[in-house]
Amino acid sequence: MDAAAISTESLTRRFGALVALEDVNLRVAPGQFFGFLGPNGAGKSTTIKMLTGLLAPTAGRVELLGLDLATKSVEVKRQIGVVPEGMALFGRLTGAEYLNFVGRMYGLDRETAAKRAAELLEFMQLADQPKALVTDYSHGMQKKLALAAAVIHGPKILFLDEPFEGVDAIASGTLKAMLQRMIARGATIFLTSHVLEIIERLCSHVAIIHRGRLVAQGSLEDLRAGVEAQAATALAAGSPADAAPPAPGDKLTLEQIFLRIVGGTRPGDQELSWLG
Amino acid sequence: MAGLIFSSEARAQFAAIARVRLRLFVNSLRTIRGRLELVSRIILGAWFAIFGIGGAIGLAFAAEYFISEGKPGWLAVLLWPVFLFWQLFPVMATAFTENFDSSNLLRFPLSYPSFFMIRLMYGSFDPATALGLVWTLAIAIGIGIAAPAMFVWAATVLLTFAVFNILLGRMIFAWLERWLAQRRTREILGILFVLLIISLQFIGPIMSRYGHGRLPRLLPIAMQFVPLERILPPGLAAESISRAAAGEFFFAIGAMVLQCAYAFAILWLLHLRVRAQYRGENLSETVARRELPLRKLAVSPGWSVPGLPGAMAAVLEKELRYFFHSSAMFIPMVMPVVVLLIFRFTPGTSGRGGSFLARAPDLAFPAGAAYALMILSNLVYNSFGAEGTGVQFYFVSPVRFRQILLAKNLAHTGILALEVSVVWITVCFLYAPPSAAITAATLAGILFAVLVNLAAGNVLSLYSPKKIDFGTFGRQHGSQATVFASLGVQFAVFALAFITLFLARAYGKIWIASVIFFALAAIAFAGYVLVLSRADQMALGRREVLTAELSRT
Repeated sequence: MDAAAISTESLTRRFGALVALEDVNLRVAPGQFFGFLGPNGAGKSTTIKMLTGLLAPTAGRVELLGLDLATKSVEVKRQIGVVPEGMALFGRLTGAEYLNFVGRMYGLDRETAAKRAAELLEFMQLADQPKALVTDYSHGMQKKLALAAAVIHGPKILFLDEPFEGVDAIASGTLKAMLQRMIARGATIFLTSHVLEIIERLCSHVAIIHRGRLVAQGSLEDLRAGVEAQAATALAAGSPADAAPPAPGDKLTLEQIFLRIVGGTRPGDQELSWLG
Repeated sequence: MAGLIFSSEARAQFAAIARVRLRLFVNSLRTIRGRLELVSRIILGAWFAIFGIGGAIGLAFAAEYFISEGKPGWLAVLLWPVFLFWQLFPVMATAFTENFDSSNLLRFPLSYPSFFMIRLMYGSFDPATALGLVWTLAIAIGIGIAAPAMFVWAATVLLTFAVFNILLGRMIFAWLERWLAQRRTREILGILFVLLIISLQFIGPIMSRYGHGRLPRLLPIAMQFVPLERILPPGLAAESISRAAAGEFFFAIGAMVLQCAYAFAILWLLHLRVRAQYRGENLSETVARRELPLRKLAVSPGWSVPGLPGAMAAVLEKELRYFFHSSAMFIPMVMPVVVLLIFRFTPGTSGRGGSFLARAPDLAFPAGAAYALMILSNLVYNSFGAEGTGVQFYFVSPVRFRQILLAKNLAHTGILALEVSVVWITVCFLYAPPSAAITAATLAGILFAVLVNLAAGNVLSLYSPKKIDFGTFGRQHGSQATVFASLGVQFAVFALAFITLFLARAYGKIWIASVIFFALAAIAFAGYVLVLSRADQMALGRREVLTAELSRT
C-alpha cells in the first residue's frame, strides 16, 4: 500500500457467526474530508473502532499515514485524534483537568497542555464553568469537550463518530469552521454521521457501507455520475420511474444517491394508512 | 377519583405495565447472567419463606400468649420489630440502588390517580412487604385464637397498621429516589449511609463498656421513652387492641384514629412527591451557561512528579483527583482507624483484660496496616472500574498499558502509604508507639503484600473488570471472579504474614520477620515486573471486554 492517510486491506470482523464487516478496502488520501455512510447496523462504528485501535480485526490490516496500526500502534496513535461513540470522557474530572490530562497523554508538556486546554475551553464556549465536573455537563457540552480533547495535540488524522449529534447550531457552525481550517492545513478527517446534509456540505469524498460491505467509494461527483449512469441504463431497460436520472440541470442530492445505492426506498402509499 | 383509577383505559394501562414487567423478566432470562439471577432469587426466596414462616409461627404464639396472659399491651414488643424490619430492610438490602424511573411513564396519557396508583403499587410487592403482611396476619391470628371476640377489632387495627407501613415504605422510597436522582444529594446520602454503618460498629463496644452492670441505672432512662413509643404507630396499634380488650372503646377508637392520621400524613407526603413528578419537575444537574468572564481563562498546568514521564504523571494525577472527587472511594479509608478505636474500647470477654489488641498492643500496627491494605484492594483489583467510557481513551492514546497500570499502582501505593502513616500515628495515641522492630517488620510485610496484590490486581483489572456505578453507594464490589480471586490472594498473603510474625514474636526475634518479608517481597517484585511486562498484550487481548463492560449504561 502507498502512503494514503487511511487505507485498509481486506478488513474483516466477525462476532461469532455474525459477519459485521467483510473484505473492506478503504482508501482515504491525505487532506480529504471523508464521509462514511451507511444504514443503521451497516458496520460504520465497527469500522471506525478498528481504524482507531478500539477493536481488533478478525482479518485484514489497517494502515494510517503509511504505518501498520497493529505493529506501530503507539507511533500511529500519536498522530490521530478520535471522538468515539461513547466520547471516552472521564466524568469525575473538570473540563480543564480532562483536557490537561489528554494533552499530556499525547506528549505535550505541562505548560503547552494547560495553554491549549484554556484556548480550547474558550473556543468551545465551555470556559464559563471551570469547576463543573464533566459528568454534570449537558450532552452537547460533553460532545464539544470530546472534540476539544481529540484535537488538543494537533492530529494529522481526526476520526469523528457522529460529532454533531446534540450540539447546538451556534457551536455546530464553530466546529465546522474549525474542521474546515484543519483540512486547509493538511489534516485528514474521517467522519460518520446520519445527517446526510452535513456530509454533503463538508465532505469532498464519501464511502457507503451496507450490510458489512463497502458498496461505493469516491468523490461526491464520481458517485453522482455513477448513479446517474446506472439510472440511465436502467431507464433504457424499462425500470420503474424512481430510478430515473434527474431532469437536465438538476443534481442528485447525497440522500438520493445514498437511497439508490442501498435500495432504501419503500412504497409508502400502502403503509400506515391509519396515520391519516 | 375511583372512576379515574378503575376506568377501562386505566385498567388497560395497568395491564400493559404488568405485561411489560413480565416481558422484561422473561427477556432477562435470555442471558446466563439473567438465569443466574433467577436462581439466586429462588434460593433467596426459599430463605425468605423459611424466615417468614418461622417468624410468623413465633409471632402468632407470642401474640396468643400475651392475650391469654392478659398482657395485650406487650403486643408492642411484637409490632416494633415488624415495623422496623418492614421499613429498614428494603433500604439496607437495596443499598440505595437507583430504582425504576417511573417518570418515563409520563409521556403516556396517564391520569394523576392512575400514576399515583402505579407509584404506590410499584415496589409494594417486595419481600419486606410480603413478610410484614404475613407477620401482621400471624399476630392477628394469634390474638384471634386467644380471644376470638377480639379478632375483628384486632384485624382492623392491624390492617390499618399494614396500610400505614406500605404507605410509609413507598413514601421513603419516593423521597429517596428524589435525592438519589441528583449526584450531590446522592453523595450526601452516601456519606450518611457510610457514617451510619460505621456508627453501628460502635454499638457492641459501647454496650459492653457502658451496659454491663449498669442496666438498673439505664432502665429509668429507657422507661422515659415508653410514653413516646405509645404515640407512634406500632405502639398505637398495640394500645388500641389493649384498650379494646379492657373495654375502653373510646380510647381504643382514639388510638385507631391517631394511627389513621399518621397514615394520611404519610399519604400526603407521598402525594407531594408524586404530584411534583407528575407535573414534570426538572431534576437535571446540567450546569447552566453563564456570561463568560472578561479575563482570559487560565488553566493550571498538571502535576509534575520527579522521575515520572509526563503521561504517567498525568495518569497518577487523574487517579488521585478521581479518588478525592468520590466520597464512595475515600470514605471507607477511615475504617482502619475506626477498627483500631473499636478494639481499643472493647473490653475483654470472660474476665480477660481487654480485647486482643489491648493484650498484645504490639500487634496493633500490623493489624491496622493489614486492614488498610484490605480496604485498598477494592481499588487495586478493579483499577479501571471507575473510568466508564474513559477507558476507550487509553486504547486510542499513544501510551502503553504498562505505563498506565504502573501510574495507577503508584497512586494506589501512595494512598496506602498515607493510610499506613495515619494508622501508625493512631496506634501511637491509642496504644503505644510501635517498636522499631515491629514497624520495620510491618513495613516489610506490607511491601510484600502490596506487590502481590498489585500483580494480581493488574491481571484481574484487565481480565474481570466491573464498572463502578457512582449512582449506587455503599460498598462497590468487583465481579464475582475478582472477589473470589482477591479473597484467595488475601488469605494466602495474610496467612503467610501471620505465621511469620507469630513465629518471630514467639522466638522474640522480630527482625527475622523483616528479613523473611524482604525476601518474599523480592520474589513478589519479580512477579509484579513479569505481569507489567505482559500488560500491553493482555490489555489488547481484553480491549473489547474492557470497553464493553465499562462503557455499559
